[in-house]
Order: sequence, then structure tokens, then C-alpha cells
Amino acid sequence: MIQTANSTKHDNESIYLPEVATLIRKEPMTDLDMYFEFEMKNKPLGHLYGQFVELSIPGIGEVAISISSPPGKGKSFEMVIRKVGQVTSVIHQLNPGDSVGIRGPFGTHFPMEDLKGKSLLFVTGGQGLVPARSAILHALKNRGDYKDITILFGCRDPGQRLFTSELKEWKSRDDIVFLETVDKCEPGEWDGHVGVITTLFPQLKDIDPLETHAIVVGPPVMYKFVIMSLYDMEFSDKHIIVSLERHMKCGVGKCGHCQINNLYVCQDGPVFVYDTIKHLKEAI
Amino acid sequence: MDIVKIPENDFYKFVDKKIAEKSSRIISVVRKGTKFVFDELDSASRMCLDYDVTILPPKKYFQPQKETLLRFVPKQADSYEAVNEFEPITLIGVHYYDLAAIYLMDRAFSEGKKDENYLKKRNNALLIGLYPTHFFKYRFSSSVIKGEQPYKVADLMLIHMDDGHFALEIVTEKGRAYIEGAGCKKSDYTLKEIEDAKNRIKDDQRLPIPVELTPDYLMKNHDHPVWEVFGEKCYSCGSCVFVCPTCYCFDMKDEIDLTLKSGERTRNWDGCMLENFAVCAGGHNFRGKRAARFRHRIFRKGVNLPLKYHYWGCVGCGRCADACTSSIAGPVKVFKYIEENK
Ligand code: SF4
Ligand code: SF4
Ligand code: FES
Repeated sequence: MIQTANSTKHDNESIYLPEVATLIRKEPMTDLDMYFEFEMKNKPLGHLYGQFVELSIPGIGEVAISISSPPGKGKSFEMVIRKVGQVTSVIHQLNPGDSVGIRGPFGTHFPMEDLKGKSLLFVTGGQGLVPARSAILHALKNRGDYKDITILFGCRDPGQRLFTSELKEWKSRDDIVFLETVDKCEPGEWDGHVGVITTLFPQLKDIDPLETHAIVVGPPVMYKFVIMSLYDMEFSDKHIIVSLERHMKCGVGKCGHCQINNLYVCQDGPVFVYDTIKHLKEAI
Repeated sequence: MDIVKIPENDFYKFVDKKIAEKSSRIISVVRKGTKFVFDELDSASRMCLDYDVTILPPKKYFQPQKETLLRFVPKQADSYEAVNEFEPITLIGVHYYDLAAIYLMDRAFSEGKKDENYLKKRNNALLIGLYPTHFFKYRFSSSVIKGEQPYKVADLMLIHMDDGHFALEIVTEKGRAYIEGAGCKKSDYTLKEIEDAKNRIKDDQRLPIPVELTPDYLMKNHDHPVWEVFGEKCYSCGSCVFVCPTCYCFDMKDEIDLTLKSGERTRNWDGCMLENFAVCAGGHNFRGKRAARFRHRIFRKGVNLPLKYHYWGCVGCGRCADACTSSIAGPVKVFKYIEENK
């Protein structure tokens, strides 16, 4: 393509131009998951519960990552990043002081304001705890704003547990119910519940489906079974909030990768009230 | 809308004058072997306005196959710099269905977050449309496009008349200014003559059901065997989406130059028919089956875009049917199969 100097203009209104953030802290969580705290260079991220950003390293690439901390930490925010490809491998090697590109925050959020005065049931599986944690921490910090709070967390095996010191704290609290399970474990490795997450449901007592909103976040296989269990408890679709994982490349509703029917998960989601997507056959 | 006329020879001379002026790149249809492509003109004599269809639609001028979005120094996040390269262009002889497709692209890139990399290129383009003069066996545009749709983007519309003239519809003031000095005369054609010339070429193919019914129709047929039957024959080669004027999905990639001192983030055509399009970080492929990908593409045209934009998401150009080695990609064939196997 011919480029003539006088007619080629540079322009800074790009929706693809990242802001800069600096790594302040990182800590391994599992063999694949690493905790990160970043600080925005200029202004706070301004995110809400369950949103995501596009995180990039120039020359390596960009990936969509959920934000794991609630708003209100100034310019800093937290993430847990699983090493699954080239970009995330390089992110794992970053050291405090290194900088990354951040676009976002993007997407819909858990409606924590609207849920004030209600009971909450969090159903989280594996990495699903990462975005859900931003809502959970908010609810625990503002405990008086919500009625009963129940948190379920399940993962593949004990080695996959995330935020273990927080899980311990949740377990010891008497103003919430926290139940945990692992799909499988080696003998002697785990003395808690074993079984997929829906096997925790029989332990749930006194949940009023009219007063409670379920927030469900987990791997793709989990949704169908959890929603069936919620139906058994007579939850209505309007009281089920899900956060869906898709391939989010651009985050701005253009690239098409995240599309489910006429919805762009990056813009219309990732957080949906189940009622609005249950007719979409590809949704769960 | 004003209509003027100009002898064909004079129009070619006018195009030569515009090329010499160098105030914008002049792009039109030229021959390539037995086929046609959009290309930059150095002389109007190469321009070929009686073509059947071009291999690629003109979308490549607004969303190039590959374009730079950012430049950077590798691993230095504070070095990111936005890149947006554009220049004035004039596209001459864009068939009305390709204009209809540009209208859909405009909506996609301007609604919600504005994509300036597309919009700057687009806003610096003047579009001279054209009604086809040649038959193309896979085209079915007349059964899917609403008449006003091409006029939402055209600046001028060319209509081949039988007497060695073009009739020229002046759609925008930008278009009017552009042809000043071309030597156009007031049109003395009757409206009927104009309409007949516009509709000179009858499409051979039609969508077998009314276009406004397709969203419900397809949703009802979400589990119809057609997706398996056609998906089975699909090679996931992506040809049908790359040639499609209403497909604009993309991927983004980082590239580093040989000195390792600078690099670029580029955007590249991508397509939902390619196997790994919907694979997410955890490795799960949300459309791992060919049938699911095949259905997604047709649903995008017949359900998703119509619900979002109130225009059909396919403009009936027939390029996909022509490009598909397996002869399955054309929407008409898909709808016919559903109709015949109810
Ligand atoms: S062109 Fe044909 S074979 Fe190739 S992806 Fe499209 S439908 Fe499949
Ligand atoms: S789907 Fe096929 S016929 Fe329709 S606009 Fe795209 S390439 Fe043309
Ligand atoms: S991630 Fe690109 S459209 Fe949603």
C-alpha cells in the first residue's frame, strides 16, 4: 500500500492503546497459578466486581484476565494468572518494577449495589473464584449490607486451591457459611469433602430462593449441573447470575471471538443474569 | 436526488484527470486473469466497470488483511504508541451489494466503542457505486438487500445506460463536489429507464424464504440436520469468511523486527470457520465441531446481525459459494436444504 508522508496521520484515539501498570507483588498460588498485584501508572483502573482487562507485554501479546480485587484500592488491583500459553508464561516471569500494558476494564459486573439487602450464594469452581473474589471480598467487608452469605468453592484437587489463607479465614467466620470440596485427592492429602461442587448442595440448609441470588462462576462444564441443582432448590432464572468465559481478544466488541449468538461476551457479559441468556443454545 | 448523465468516454477521461490530480488514490476494478479485483489505477484505461464480481470485496481498504495498530519497544509497556495510517481514497464502481456490506461494517466499527483505525480510513473514502452489468451465477442480492441500504454509504451511483452514457445519481454533497468539472449534463432519462437499467441483470438465485423471517426460521432450525450434513463436508479452510464483505472478525498479533528493538501489534483477518477461533485460555473450544462453526456463520448472517442492525447480515454477493471447494458455503444452498428436508 502506498503511504505518502503528507497524508499519513498518526492518531491517539485508539481503543487498542494500553495504559501502563507496574507489577508491585507476585506470589505463587498453585503450580500454574500466580497471584499478582499491579499499580496503574496514571489513574486508578476504576473497575467493578467481576470485570476484566486486556493485559499485554509488548512483543509477546495481549490476554484477557479477570480482576480479582474489589474496587477501592486506589491505583492498585489484583489478579491471579494461570500459566496456559506464551503470554501468560512471560507474565509469570515478570519481576516487581516491571511494567505491563492494560486496556479496560471491560464488561458487565456483579450487581453488588442492587443485591444489597439480599442473601448471596456464591458457587465457584477452580479459576472461577478469581473474578468472584472481587464480589465476595466486597460483601464480607460490607457484611451488614447483605443478609445470609454462603460461599461454595470446588476445585480439581487440593493442590489447585486458590487464596488458601483467605479460605481459612472464611471457614472460621461464623457470620457466613463456607463449604469446600475437591473433585479428587490422594489418600491423606485432604480431610474435607470430596466430590464435584454439586455434591455440596445437600448441605445447604435454609436457603430461601426468593431472597437469595446465586452467583455462579466456574469452568464451562460446571454451569449446567449447578443450574440444575439451583432449579431443584427452586431458584428462578432471574436470581441466577453467571459469569461466562470466552475467548476475549479485543474486549471492545469488534473482533468477534467472544460471540454467542448476537451477544458479545466482552461487552454484554461476562456477567449475565441467567434469564437473559438461557435461550441461547451456545451459552452454557 | 439529482441525476445527471455523462458519456462513458468522458467519464474515463475524468477519471484520468483525477488520477493526475493525485489528491486521492483512485481505486477501481481491473482484470486479473479471467477474474476481477479492486486495485489502484494508474490509468483509467485499466478500469473495467463491466465485471461480474471481484475476488475480494472492497473491505480490504478499510480493514486491510493486516494492519498495524500499535508500535512499541519490546517488553517496554511505556513505549506503546498508537498507529493509524490512512489517506484519501476514491473507490469507483463498487457494486450496490458491496455498498450495503460497507454500511454494516460502518455500524459495527462505529457503534459502541469507536474503532478509529477503521473509521479514519472509511471517512477519508469517497464511494462511487455501480449497478451490475454482468450476471454472476451465485449472486442473490436482490432478494436480501433493502433498496435504500447502498445509498446510506454511496456518494455517487453509476448506472450504465444503453446509449453509451452513464447516468449518475448524486447522493451526497461530497459526491456533487467531486464530479464538478466532469462535464455532466442534466439527465433526460425517464425514471422507468433508470429503474430498468438498474435492474438489467436479474439474479438467478433467490433466498427461498422472505429475508425478514430468517431470524425466527433459523432459530427454529437450530438443531436441523443441515448443520451436521454441511459441516461434515467443510474443510475449515476459512475461504468463505475471507471473501465475505460482511465478515470482519480479526485477530491481533505482536511482531518484533529483526533488530529486536522495535515491534508492532497488528490486526489480521480471522474467521469463525477456522478451527481454533473460539478456543479460550483454559483450552476449551466453544465451537470445536465443524457443524457448530458452520451454523454460527449462517446464524451470524441470518440471525445475529439482523437482530442487531435490522438489516440482513449477508448481502448476497455469492463470493462464498464461488470460493468454497466443497460447494457448501452459499447461504441459498443452506436454506434450500432446510426447505427440502423439513
Ligand atoms: S469455504 Fe467451504 S470448506 Fe472452506 S470453511 Fe467455508 S464452508 Fe468450509
Ligand atoms: S455470506 Fe456469502 S453471499 Fe453472503 S455476503 Fe458473505 S460472501 Fe456474500
Ligand atoms: S473480545 Fe473481541 S468482540 Fe468480544
